[in-house]
Amino acid sequence: MEQAIHRELIMTGVDAKDYEDAIRQVGQLFLKNGYVKDTYIDAVVEREKVFATGLELEGISIAMPHTDIIHVNKPGVTVAKLAHPVEFEHMGEPGRKVQAEMLFMMAITNPEDQIGTIMKVLGVFQNTEALAAFKAAENEDELYEAAAKYIG
Amino acid sequence: MKTCTVVTVCGSGVVTSSMIALKIKEQLRDKGWDATMYEASPVSLNSVIAGKNIDVIVCASPVTEDVGIPKVKGMGMVTGMGEEKVINQIIEVLEEKYK
Repeated sequence: MEQAIHRELIMTGVDAKDYEDAIRQVGQLFLKNGYVKDTYIDAVVEREKVFATGLELEGISIAMPHTDIIHVNKPGVTVAKLAHPVEFEHMGEPGRKVQAEMLFMMAITNPEDQIGTIMKVLGVFQNTEALAAFKAAENEDELYEAAAKYIG
Repeated sequence: MKTCTVVTVCGSGVVTSSMIALKIKEQLRDKGWDATMYEASPVSLNSVIAGKNIDVIVCASPVTEDVGIPKVKGMGMVTGMGEEKVINQIIEVLEEKYK
């Protein structure tokens, strides 16, 4: 299975003033490493306004911003920790807010080809041990180690 | 094995709908239902369901439009909290339709 986690897509201490700022900063990881087209970040921000991606998981809230495949060059997943929580709207429940501490931003080119990656990310959302490891990671090396272990 | 047809819906019709589709298919199989899965976004929903006998729509993003097919909220499949409830609600719809 193709590797989803890459060292260059890991970031900690993202100091964002709101969800849009968080998406733009983390989205830069994809952009500067050639994973996405220059239309991607704006498209993710716009999509987040209409279809929010905040999730309240066991012990941590996160968001998984993403957008249509036309904005993506190659698949990958960013794993980013925010310096302080940022308010996102909850997926599926308009009006409900979550204080996201992490962003799992997704770049998908073909959901059928990348179903393994998609399911691994879903797997960590439901894995309290993985979530605790992400939460405990204090720097990018530790976060990369946890992401590589639990997502691969 | 009984057969059914399920559409999963999320904002882009790509990531979240694929995530929950695979889990729903597996868990329905355990309960004796062989499900054919389709994925849609709220925008593509009408064209995805056109000409198909869809039994139930599972929504990871809100779908306000009434397309005449029962809808079940699918967020529990994403967070893992309340998965059983989602599956039970889907089966309730199927059993009501095929009783």
